[in-house]
Amino acid sequence: MEEKIIKAADVRQEKGLMLNVENLSISFGGLKAVENFHMQIKKHELYGLIGPNGAGKTTVFNLLTGVYKPDTGSILLDGENITGKHTIDINHAGIARTFQNIRLFGNLSVLDNVKAGLHAHYVYGTVSGIFRTPKFYKMERAMNEKAMEILKVFDLDEAASYKASQLPYGRQRKLEIARALATEPKLLLLDEPAAGMNPQETQELMDTIRFVRDSFDMTILLIEHDMKLVSGICEELTVLNFGQVLCSGATKEVLNNPEVIKAYLGD
Amino acid sequence: MKIKNKTFRQNAITYAMVLLFYLICQGLIMSGNMSSLMKGLMVPICYYVILAVSLNLVVGISGELSLGHAGFMCIGAYSSAIFAVCVDGKIPEMAELLLALVIGAAVTAVFGFLIGIPVLRLRGDYLAIVTLAFGEIIKNVVNAVYVGVDENGLHFSMKDSLSLGLSENGIEIINGAQGISGLPRTATFTTGIILVFITLFIVLNLVNSRQGRAIMAIRDNRIAAESIGLSVSKYKMMAFVISAALAGVAGVLYSHNLSTLQATSKNFGYNQSIMILVFVVLGGIGNIRGSVIAAFILTILPEKLRFLSDYRMLIYAIVLITMMLFNSAPKAIAWRKSIKERFFSGKKAEAGKEAQ
Ligand SMILES: Nc1ncnc2c1ncn2[C@@H]1O[C@H](COP(=O)(O)OP(=O)(O)O)[C@@H](O)[C@H]1O
Ligand SMILES: [Mg+2]
Repeated sequence: MEEKIIKAADVRQEKGLMLNVENLSISFGGLKAVENFHMQIKKHELYGLIGPNGAGKTTVFNLLTGVYKPDTGSILLDGENITGKHTIDINHAGIARTFQNIRLFGNLSVLDNVKAGLHAHYVYGTVSGIFRTPKFYKMERAMNEKAMEILKVFDLDEAASYKASQLPYGRQRKLEIARALATEPKLLLLDEPAAGMNPQETQELMDTIRFVRDSFDMTILLIEHDMKLVSGICEELTVLNFGQVLCSGATKEVLNNPEVIKAYLGD
Repeated sequence: MKIKNKTFRQNAITYAMVLLFYLICQGLIMSGNMSSLMKGLMVPICYYVILAVSLNLVVGISGELSLGHAGFMCIGAYSSAIFAVCVDGKIPEMAELLLALVIGAAVTAVFGFLIGIPVLRLRGDYLAIVTLAFGEIIKNVVNAVYVGVDENGLHFSMKDSLSLGLSENGIEIINGAQGISGLPRTATFTTGIILVFITLFIVLNLVNSRQGRAIMAIRDNRIAAESIGLSVSKYKMMAFVISAALAGVAGVLYSHNLSTLQATSKNFGYNQSIMILVFVVLGGIGNIRGSVIAAFILTILPEKLRFLSDYRMLIYAIVLITMMLFNSAPKAIAWRKSIKERFFSGKKAEAGKEAQ
C-alpha cells in the first residue's frame, strides 16, 4: 500500500507542473487586488488557496479563467501559455471552475446542466439536431449516459429531471462541480465549495473531492474558508493576504506558520 | 429516458392542437359554416402564429428582447413579392410559392445576420431599442425604393419610377410607397398550416438539441456558459438568424395572401412588432405552445368583438389584461396548479417534495 503511494508521488514529479503562475497582478482603479501572485501546482495535486475575506482569492480565479485580463504576469497550463486568452478558449485548454456565488443554468434540468458541460465533446450539427438524424440520437444517448455517470458521483442521478434552481443549496454546489467536470478539464478550480454546507455535508464533499481527484485523474485547486476541510484534504497551500502571497508550501507547515496564524486571527 | 418522453409528449400535444384546429376550421369551411370574414382570417392566423413562435425563439429561448420582428417580416414579404412578379405566369404556382419561401427565408436570414452583428453586442434595453430602430429603417427604405425589370435586368432608383429608365417591355416591380401590385395570391390556409408545422418542427427540435441547450444555458447565465466553453456570440446569432428567417417565411405567406403589397406602419411598423411581442408575453415567455394559442386568440378576438363597435378596443384591452393576470399572477398560477393536481392525482405533488 505504502509502496503504491510512493510510486504515485514519483509519477507526479515526473509529469511536471499542471499550473505555473508567475508575477500575476491586477488592479481595479487604485486598488491592487492581486499583486505579484505566484503559484506552482503539480499534476494530480489537491491544492488550497486560503486567506481572509477580500484577500483576492476569487480575483485569482477570475484571472486564471480569463474573466479579467492580468496587468502583468504569466499563466502556464500544462506548459501551454494561456495568459490573456478568452474564457471560452481557456476552458477548451483545460480549466473549469465553480463560482462562489452559485451560477447554474437555473431553468434547465439538472441533467441538461451537465449536458451543457459536455457540449464540446459530443458534437453534431444544427441541421442534424433539427432533422433528428441517427447521429443526433447516437450522440444524445451517449451524452445522457455520460451525464448520468457524472451525476452519480455527486449523488444527483435521482434528481436528474428536476430544474436546477429547485435543488437545495448544498446540492446546487455539487451540481456546479459536476458541470465543470463534464468539460473534461485538466485543472478544476473550486471557489469555496463547502460554503453554506453543514458539517456532515462538508465531510461528504471532502470525500467526493478526493474521489474526483483519484478517479478522474484531476488536478484540483480550491479556495476555502473551512480550515478543517483545508487541512483534511489539501496537500499544499498558498496563503493570500491583501492581494499578496503571504507564504506557500506543505499544508502542515503553512498552517503552523506564525504569520499565517496572525493574519487569520487578525481577521 | 423519462425526461425525453416528457418533452416528446409536450411537443406532440402542440402539433395535435394545430392539427385539430386545422381540421375543425376545414370542417367549418367545407360545410359552409364559416363567415367570409373568418375565412379571411385563416391565413393571417397562420402567419401570426409563425411570427409569435419565431419571436419566442429570440425573446424566450435566447433571452433577448427584440422589437424589430415586423422588419424581418417585411424583408420576407418584399423579397418574395419581387420574385413572384418576376416569374409570374412563367412557372407553376406551387413551384413559385415553394421557391418564394426559400428566397424569402434566405434573404431574411442574411439580413438577420447582418443586423445581428451590431445588435447582439448590445444587451437588454439597448438591444430592444436598436432592433426597434432597424425595423423602422427597413420599413422606410422599402417605402422609398423603385425597382423595375426589363430585358437588361433589374433597375433601381430612390427617386421615382421614371428614373428607372425601363425599356418598353419593362415592368415596374416596386413603385415606392405604392408598393408591389399584381401579386398572385397563391397562399392558402393549408399552405399556412404546413408552414406553421414546419416552424414548430424547427423551433421545438432546435430547443431540444445540443444547440438549443447552449442557447438556453447562455440565457440563464452568460458567465457560467463561457466558463464551460460555450460561445455566446455564436449561439446568440444562431437563435437570432433562425428567428429572422422564420419571420421572413411569415412575410412570404403575408405577401402571397394579397394582390398588392405595401409597407405601412400598420403591417410592418413597430406597433406590429409590439403586437407580436404581446403574443409572446401573453402565451408565456419561452412557452412555444403558449405563443401559438395567444397568437390564435388575439387574431380572432378583434373580429369576434366587432359587434361591440365603439367598445371593441376597450374590451380587447380588458381581455388582454385578464389573460396576462391569469398567466402570470402568483395566485392564478397557484390556483392552476391545484386544479392540475386534482386531475393528475398525487403523483406530481410527491415528485415535487423529493426535489427538496
Ligand atoms: N471587478 C472588480 N472591480 C473592483 N474591485 C474588485 C473587483 N473584483 C474584486 N474587487 C476587489 O478586489 C478585492 C479582492 O476581492 P476577492 O477576490 O473577491 O476576495 P476574496 O475572494 O479573497 O474574498 C476586494 O477588495 C474586492 O472589492
Ligand atoms: Mg471570494
